[in-house]
Amino acid sequence: ASQPSAERSIALAPAACAPLPGGSTRRCRRVIRYGACLYPAGTSASHCFLPEFISGDFDSIRPEVREYYTIKGCEIISTPDQDHTDFTKCLDVLQKKIEEKDLQVDVIVTLGGLAGRFDQIMASVSTLFQVTRITPLPIIIMQEESLIYLLQPGKHKLHVDTGMEGDWCGLIPVGQPCSQVTTTGLKWNLTNHMLSFGTLVSTSNTYDGSGIVTVETDHPLLWTMAIKN
Amino acid sequence: MPLPRWNLCFPLICLPDFSTLIGLFSSLSLLRLHDGNLKYCLVILNQPLDKYFHHLWSKALLRACADGGANRLYDITEGKRESFLPEFISGDFDSIRPEVREYYTIKGCEIISTPDQDHTDFTKCLDVLQKKIEEKDLQVDVIVTLGGLAGRFDQIMASVSTLFQVTRITPLPIIIMQEESLIYLLQPGKHKLHVDTGMEGDWCGLIPVGQPCSQVTTTGLKWNLTNHMLSFGTLVSTSNTYDGSGIVTVETDHPLLWTMAIKN
Repeated sequence: ASQPSAERSIALAPAACAPLPGGSTRRCRRVIRYGACLYPAGTSASHCFLPEFISGDFDSIRPEVREYYTIKGCEIISTPDQDHTDFTKCLDVLQKKIEEKDLQVDVIVTLGGLAGRFDQIMASVSTLFQVTRITPLPIIIMQEESLIYLLQPGKHKLHVDTGMEGDWCGLIPVGQPCSQVTTTGLKWNLTNHMLSFGTLVSTSNTYDGSGIVTVETDHPLLWTMAIKN
Repeated sequence: MPLPRWNLCFPLICLPDFSTLIGLFSSLSLLRLHDGNLKYCLVILNQPLDKYFHHLWSKALLRACADGGANRLYDITEGKRESFLPEFISGDFDSIRPEVREYYTIKGCEIISTPDQDHTDFTKCLDVLQKKIEEKDLQVDVIVTLGGLAGRFDQIMASVSTLFQVTRITPLPIIIMQEESLIYLLQPGKHKLHVDTGMEGDWCGLIPVGQPCSQVTTTGLKWNLTNHMLSFGTLVSTSNTYDGSGIVTVETDHPLLWTMAIKN
């Protein structure tokens, strides 16, 4: 398999991506919690949760909700293009704002998208493939106990010793077979193995206790893992 | 591999060559109480059961639970459990509760241990089911699976993966249903789906899960494709809908996952 010209190594720490309200910031210093108000935990004022913007084709937002956030000064951005999902278009707007404000951002955390209508779960995954054309930033998606992250071709290093990891993890060759996958740090590792729907998909995997998982893949490969309750 | 027996109420006859299968399939006619034409078996996975479970149970030829699916059956049938006894429960039994296992054992359900860790409880359950269908020489049109499309993301993907593997286990079509979603893997070739049963919801989609489908042609959708490429990274058809004709045809060169809404 052809190797990418630049070896990519990304450390992905769940704790850095999901900072506890008012809690640990040691890995979060450079993560901007976009849209969240940095008030201490426990503050009950609802104005602490005003998004920077709301975008979409607005076929789902309730009228009173739209009105509330408009009054409160949140930017309401219509993105009517029916060839892309609200999620994809939202990332596009977000990337532009990050550039406008010249923010240093490590990752974009998405909440939702992994449950409900099956076609929309697949649309969330599809967005992860498309987003490389929109932003260079890694995107993770989290809902309930699941997290997904698309590993681009190359080598990746995932820190799984934050204490926020649940029991299971997996590697899902969505989109096309990954003919050369090598891992370390998993209970069931792979060495230059093929992953594809129809031959092998790694689900219900887990960790070997080392605290680090490495994955090398020749094609985009979806990493999924449990978030601890 | 035995040929599938298509019910004679379908005007098109299924050809024996699976690679150019012309299938006439009305997946949601199963949910019409007065339509008893389709012969199916029921598999219950470890996810909350939906209201249409009761309709589907009554007309199934064979019913099985995969491991924790037995918990779901047990819980939802409280007060009338004896009327909802599965033919068998299979799995590695790391999910089924002890009292649930004991209950169904006492009631005479077959408890089949399938400990192989290289395959999911779902896949192994289909393997057992196929053997029973053959032993009993049953005429079955389709296997309906409840659950598998929610919860842990890796297990949702494992459900989809099973649809790819199951062609080695049984020639029967497998559909998976949970909440308002249904999925069915279209093998390479032409397919005809009746979507005029009244049980269809608003949305549908075509998902090239395992590999790009370079030549996809459809009719009957609001946004049709003509020899179009579907792949993650180029185009995935989601939030599609119907053109009102009542029939959708899909031709694909590689396995393509059909998904659709079930009406409440």
